Amino acid sequence: MNEREVLETAMEAGHILLENGAEIFRVEETIDRICRYYGVDYANAFVLSNGIFLTAGNLRQQYFAKVQHIPVSGAHLNRVAAVNQLSREIEAGHYTVEEARKTLESIKTMPGKTKRMQILASGIGSGCFCYLFGGSLLDSAAAFAVGLILYLFVLYISVPRLSKIVGNIAGGALVTLLCMVFYHIHLGEHLNHMVIGAIIPLVPGVPFTNAIRDIADGDYISGSVRMLDAMLVFFCIAMGVGMMFTVYSRIGGVMAL
Amino acid sequence: MIGQVLAAAVGTIAFSVLFSVPRVYYPYCGLIGGAGWVIYCLLITSASSPEATFFAAIAVILLSRLFAVWERCPVTLFLIPGIFPLVPGAGVYWTAYYIVTDQLGLASETGFMALKVAVAIVLGIVLIFQLPQSLFSGIAGLAPAAWKRRRDKKTNRKERIGK
Repeated sequence: MNEREVLETAMEAGHILLENGAEIFRVEETIDRICRYYGVDYANAFVLSNGIFLTAGNLRQQYFAKVQHIPVSGAHLNRVAAVNQLSREIEAGHYTVEEARKTLESIKTMPGKTKRMQILASGIGSGCFCYLFGGSLLDSAAAFAVGLILYLFVLYISVPRLSKIVGNIAGGALVTLLCMVFYHIHLGEHLNHMVIGAIIPLVPGVPFTNAIRDIADGDYISGSVRMLDAMLVFFCIAMGVGMMFTVYSRIGGVMAL
Repeated sequence: MIGQVLAAAVGTIAFSVLFSVPRVYYPYCGLIGGAGWVIYCLLITSASSPEATFFAAIAVILLSRLFAVWERCPVTLFLIPGIFPLVPGAGVYWTAYYIVTDQLGLASETGFMALKVAVAIVLGIVLIFQLPQSLFSGIAGLAPAAWKRRRDKKTNRKERIGK
C-alpha cells in the first residue's frame, strides 16, 4: 500500500473537518485513526485553527511532510458528520484507500442548503429569537422580514465581497436601519426587541462554541484565535448597531424603547 | 412560556438549517434548544441570569452529548445550534445601545452581565465535557431494543446514500 496516498487521504479528511467547523481534537483524532488503520504508524499531525502540519516516516519508512493552510470559512456541519461517519467505516474495514479518497472528494463538494433555504432559515430564526427575547408577534413579524433581507445581504454582498470586519459592521448597521424603517411605518412596537432578534443570524456561534471546546481540550492557540474571532465579530456587530443609533439621534430621531 | 419554548425550538432548528446540519437531526436540535429554554425559564424567576444560563447550558450539553452518542455523530452538530438561545446576543446589543446613548453606568453593568453569561456557558461546556464518554454510551445502552433497531435501520439507509 502506498503510504503517501494514505497520508494524503488523512490530510484531505483533516482539511474538510477543519474547514467546516470541527474542533481541533476531532481533526487530530481523525488523521491519527486513518493513518493507523492503513498501517502508517509514524505519523504525527499538528493542527492549528487554520493549518495542518503532517509528517511521517522513520529510519525504515520513507519520510513524508506536508503543510496545508486552511483559511477559516463557513460551517457546513453536514460535511463534518459525513467525514466522521467515513472514518468510523474506514476503521470497520469497509474502505480501501482509493475508495476513501473518492468518498472524500464527493464529501468536499457536498451541497449545503440552497440559498433560498438559508435566507428563509435566517428569517425564521430572527422571528423566533425576537419573540424569545420578549418581542410581540408584530415585532417578530418585522424581525422575520429583516432577517430575510439581512441574509440576502450576507450571501450576495458581505461574504463574497467584504472583509469580515466591514461585513459585520455593515450587517449590524443594516439590521438597525431596517428595523428603524419598520418601526416608523408602525410594523413593530419595540425597536430594541426587533433589532435583537434580527441580529442573531450574525452572532458567531460556531467560533464561540469551538473556541471554548478547544480551550477545554488544551488547544490554547487555536482556542484563543477562535475566541478572538468570535469577540471581533461581536464587537463589529455592536459597532454597526451603535453607529446607526448615533446617526439616528443626530438627525433628530427620538430613541423610543 | 409554551410559546417561548416553541420559539426556542423552532429558532434552534432554523440555525441548524443555516449550519447545514443533516435533516435527520432537526428533531434533536429542536428538542435540545427547547429543553435549554425550559430550564432557563424555570430558573430565571428565582435566580440571576448567569446562574439560569449555567444550568440551561448544562442541560443543552448533556442532551447534545447523549444524542451524539446515540446517533454516533459529532456532538458539534447538536451543540452549536442548541447553545444559540443562551448566547448573550441581547446583552451585547444593550451594551452597544447604552454606550451610544451615553449611559455608561448601565453600559458597563450590562456588558459585565453579558460577559458573566458567556462565562456561565463556558463553565457548563468545560464541566460537562469532563464527564467520561462511557457514561453517555451507558445511558444510551439502556434504551429499549425497539428504538435501537429503528436507529440501526436509519443508519444503514444513511450509509447506502453515502456510497
